[in-house]
Order: sequence, then C-alpha cells, then structure tokens
Amino acid sequence: MEDLNLPPIDYAALSPILILFGVACLGVLVEAFAPRRARHPVQLVLAIGGSVAALVMVVLERNTRVVTIGDAVAIDGPSLFLQGAILLLGIVSLLLIGERSLEAGGPFVAQAALTVGSEKDNRQAQGAPGNTEIYPLAVFALSGMLLFVAANDLLTMFIALEVLSLPLYLLCALARRKRLLSQEAALKYFLLGSYASAFFLFGVALLYGYAGGVNLQQINEAVAASQNSDILLYAGLALLAIGLLFKVAAAPFHVWTPDVYQGAPTPVTAFMAACTKVAGFGALLRVLYVAFEGVQWDYQPVIGTIAVLTMIVGSVLAVTQQDIKRLLAYSSIANAGYLLVGVVAQNREGVSSTLFYLVAYGFTVLAAFGVVSLVRDADGEATHLSRWAGLGRRSPLLAAIFTFLMLAFAGIPLTSGFISKFVVFGAAIDGGQSWLVVAGVVTSMIIAFPYLRVIVMMWLSEPAETTPTVSVPGWMTSAAVFIGVLATLALGVVPSPLLDLTNDASLFVR
Amino acid sequence: MTPDYYLVLAAILFTIGAVGVLVRRNAIVLFMCIELMLNAANLTLVAFSRITGTLDGQIMAFFVMVVAAAEVVIGLAIIMSIFRARRSASVDDSNLLKY
Amino acid sequence: MTLSPYVPIVGLLILGALFALFSVSIAPIVGPKRYNRAKLEAYECGIEPAPQPVGGGRFPVKFYLTAMLFIIFDIEIIFLYPWAVSFDALGLFGFVEMVLFIVTVFIAYTYVWRRGGLNWD
Repeated sequence: MEDLNLPPIDYAALSPILILFGVACLGVLVEAFAPRRARHPVQLVLAIGGSVAALVMVVLERNTRVVTIGDAVAIDGPSLFLQGAILLLGIVSLLLIGERSLEAGGPFVAQAALTVGSEKDNRQAQGAPGNTEIYPLAVFALSGMLLFVAANDLLTMFIALEVLSLPLYLLCALARRKRLLSQEAALKYFLLGSYASAFFLFGVALLYGYAGGVNLQQINEAVAASQNSDILLYAGLALLAIGLLFKVAAAPFHVWTPDVYQGAPTPVTAFMAACTKVAGFGALLRVLYVAFEGVQWDYQPVIGTIAVLTMIVGSVLAVTQQDIKRLLAYSSIANAGYLLVGVVAQNREGVSSTLFYLVAYGFTVLAAFGVVSLVRDADGEATHLSRWAGLGRRSPLLAAIFTFLMLAFAGIPLTSGFISKFVVFGAAIDGGQSWLVVAGVVTSMIIAFPYLRVIVMMWLSEPAETTPTVSVPGWMTSAAVFIGVLATLALGVVPSPLLDLTNDASLFVR
Repeated sequence: MTPDYYLVLAAILFTIGAVGVLVRRNAIVLFMCIELMLNAANLTLVAFSRITGTLDGQIMAFFVMVVAAAEVVIGLAIIMSIFRARRSASVDDSNLLKY
Repeated sequence: MTLSPYVPIVGLLILGALFALFSVSIAPIVGPKRYNRAKLEAYECGIEPAPQPVGGGRFPVKFYLTAMLFIIFDIEIIFLYPWAVSFDALGLFGFVEMVLFIVTVFIAYTYVWRRGGLNWD
C-alpha cells in the first residue's frame, strides 16, 4: 500500500486554536483531579492565561496569510482580526464570569444536577461555591469560535459551529438563581440551535452535491463553471444562510434571542452577545465573500431584505420591553441588522466596517451587561425596568456609566456606536445599497427611544422603596466594565487606529 | 439502481423532521425530529458521494454522526434536568420566559 | 447534468415548507385544545405497555449516565475503524494523531471516573 501524501500543516498559524483546545482539555483534567477548593482560582488563571497566550500568538502571527491543513483552515487578515477580537472580548467576558464577590459563590449553580426547588437546591442557593466546569466550557466555546471564523471548508465550519454552540447551551442552564428560567432558556436555545444547525448541514450536503466538494474555493469555482443544477446551489446557499443567520440573531431567525438572553446567567449573556456575534458574522462574511462571490447579485437583495426586517423587528419590539435584559436582546437583534448592512455592501469597506462594528459593539455590550449584573436585590439581579427607576439618585456613577453606554447604543457622536454606524452606512452607500441606509437611519431613530426611556427613568424618577441596591463590584467586574466603557469612548474619539487595522485586515485569501 | 432516489428519500426525511419540530409538543420528540434531519443530511452526503465519485461525503457523514451523538448527550441532559423539576417534557409548559 | 433529477427535491422542500407554515398558522385558530396523555407520549400509536410500572415507567437516572458514557466509546470507534483499515498507508503521522485523539477521549473518561460516574451506587 502506498503512503498517502500528508497535507502541510502550519502549526504556528493554528497555534491560537490549538492552545485554547489544549487549555480546555487541561481544564477538564483540573476538574477531575484538583481538590475542590483549589479549582476556582486554578481554572480562572488557566482560562484567562490560555486566552492571553492565544492572543499573543495571534499578534505574533499577524502577517500570516496562509491556507493550511489540507485547505481546511484559512488564516488571513479577517480571520486573524476576528480571532484577536474574540479573544479580547472573551477575556473580558471571563472576568465577568469569574466574578464571585457580588453574590456568595458566584453567579453559577453549585451542582447542575440538583433538582430545582429541592431542599439541597435551596441550600446551594445560599452560597455554596459555584461550579467550575463553566471555565472549560467557556474555553471550548471560545476555541470553537476561533475555528469558526477561520474555517475554509464547510465541514470544518459545521464542526466549529457545534463546538461553539454545545458549551453555550450548557452555560445557559447554569444560573444559580431563577434556575427554571435558566433551564428553560437552555432548552429553547438548544432545540432551536440544533434545528438551525440541521438546516446548515443539509445546505452543506446540497452544496457538496453541487460542487463535488465543500471547500470554499471549490464552491467558488463551481459557481462560475459548474454544469450542475443551479437549484442545488440556491437551495444549499439558502439553507446554509439560515444556519448562520440564526447564530447572529437576524430576523426571522431571532425568536430565541430575547428568551435566551433573559434566562441565561448575565455573564453568559454578555459572552454570547459579544463573542458569538463576532464569530457568526465572521463566518457569514467568509462564506458570502469567498464561496458565493459569483452569485452576489442574487443573494444581495435577499440578505438586504433580511437586514431591513432585522432592524425593524429589533428596534420596534425594543420599544415595548419591560426587562432590561430583553431590551438589550432586542438591541442586539437591531445591531445584527446594522451589521448585515455592512455585509451586504459587498466591497472591501463592507468587510472592514463590519469588523470595526463587531469590536465596538462587543465592548459596549459587555460593559452594559456588566452593569446589569450589579443592580441587585435579595433575589439576585433586578432586571425589570420599573425597578431601575430612580437609580441615578441612589448611585450616580453607575447610572452615569449606563447612560453613556445607552447613548453609545443609540449612536451619539463621540461614542463608538456613532463611528461604527457611520462606517457601515458609508460602505453600504459605496456599494450602491442606499435603501438599506435609509432603513438603518429610520430604525436608529426608533430604537433611540427605548434607550432614552431607560435614561429618563434612571435620572428623572424618584427612587421607590423597592429600588434595588447597587452592589459594590469586585475588581473583575470593575475591570470588565471599565475596559468596555474605555473602549467605547476611545473608539468614538480616536477611531482611526482600529479603522486602519480593519482596512489592512479586510482581504480574504483565496 | 440510480442514487437519485436516495436524494428524494433524504429530502422527504428532512421535511418530515423539519415539520415534526414545528408541530410536536414533547421535547424528546422534537429532539428525535432534529436527529432525523441530521440523518437525512447524512443520507444526502453519502448519495452525493456516490454520484460525484468522491469519498468526502462519506467522511463527512462520520463527523455528522459524532456531532449528533454529542448533541444527544447535551440535549438529554438539559431535557432531563427540566423534567425532574416539572415532571413533564412538554414544550408548552416551558412558558416562563415571555414579555 | 440537467435540472430534472433535482426538481422533485426542491418541489418537496417547497411543499414541506408551505405545509409547515400552513399547519403552524392554522393550528392555533381551528385546532381544538384538548390535551391528553397520549399527546405527550413518545409514540402516538401502538398499545400501551401493560402493566404500567410503578411510578409511571421511569428508570433510575443511572441508566441515562451509563448510556451517555457508552456514547464516548461509540464516537471513538467511528474514527478508529477507518484508521485501522488504512493503518499502513497513514504511517507514523496517522498513529500520532490517533494517539492524540484517544488521549482526548480519555480526558473525558477520567473526568467521569473521578466524578463517580462509573459507580453504580
């Protein structure tokens, strides 16, 4: 039997992904062998240290442009930029996840297997140390995201999608309080998520039939020259897009978002809102720009329509929300719409503006959820909007921070929200998609209303008896909120370094 | 024996699964429908592997089986913990989260 | 290749989607809301297992754990089998990769072992 030719493997380019997978496996071993007391500090250091090491490798490899390991992974400008962004946002989320001073034992349940409402469950809620499996799970999710944005064939992309989704389903179910809500969120996320990934997979199967392979370049060539039926191509692309648009929470595949964002533990919600969005849009960009460039005129109107629908659904429904986490969820949907505007622009500015938007939005949303996790009463977080009335009188600093973040979401100048909307809309106009910009501006005005309502409520209402207290944050939450606010401000005042970086990073290798 | 019939069968299975998820109420059954969709995709992959004369489709089917197994573990864990609290696996009973 | 072989697939997909859309939108309006136990059964047809076991036919959760553990090895064999068939051709690199794969599976296994997942009582 003759020896097979081994594909060349560029280990240095793959090292961020490999480091994180290794750290996650190590985390599982720590769970197995380390004594219970030592687990939390060890896991925290391991997770953050691993992410930092991976980030360092991304920075060192910043000039690499290579398709490696049998054409399965493409390490190029966009994937390195997105990997760096995911790691940065991931480190900040890990700070939120690791916080244990807000609540005795941290925001996570001590033992996930305890039946809700049982005697033991009530005892764990009183302050048993939270479980530490969350760290390996979060790191697995992070490594899946790194692979997701770099995947150069659809099979690798599918595997990465599952590697990032499966830990997230579990993380959603692990809240310490309101466990039924949390488990329900996990169930909904799981059922709808695997439904969407089944569509993704069937799309992959049809495209395999069309192109005779699932490599993105191969599909690109097949789009130009294949003799096969175009129906396979369009059906495959549509099903594939359903799977990806679900992950980024675009309408009409957004229904899971508010429920899951509300039910999941707040640090996990922050993690999902920031990192999953980056990963989802990274993969969407790569699929549309690398594999389906040849049919861009066919899918552009469809994705454009979805973008408009997403913006409308997100902004209009945000107006009616009574719960701060749901409000942020609908805001996240609306932002997915603005991001899609950048994707549809279908030019180099489209890619670079989307990359910029992802980073800017990620930091702002992390800080916002960090603040949400601080407003608490005896039952845990007080997320109902009426409870936030008069918060400005009780704790002006926190209310000021949240006001700033809301203004950033609304896109006021001198915040990153303004710059990112500006560049995305600019790219769309360059790409000849002015109708999207019109829809974008109109919905931005609509969605400014709920943001302003929160601000007015915090500052102009009298504090009631039931206004919850604001917990004194530990250093980790403080750091996370501080980094988020600082990035929001810095990217709004001096955006040019990051804009230059996104410009340099906006070319896909083929 | 033409492999096209397998594609038709796979499309039927996929549709049954997709509709099943929408109309059934038991979380376990929803889950079975999703597995059916994954397996329909597997059948398509293998059939196309035969048509195009490449082995990639069969390899992909292996990976899909692994992913499906991992999904079973996670899904059943979540459904089981809900069942233990509520004594029911009906998705209609999961209605705490709404606006 | 012509369009013809794939037209039925697309037709079925469209029909399926239309049917799903139709039934979901019409069901809450016209459907009677009579819930009974059969609706929640895993299989709506067939005879009920008789006699009903104590506690409604539920099994101890240990069986579930065992079944999940089996899946670890189930997954392992999927990849071991093709590797074993072309062991010669894959050479040392294939061997090292496979060892790494097995090590990863065993990490999960040691976790289960240390957490007492293998104890029946």
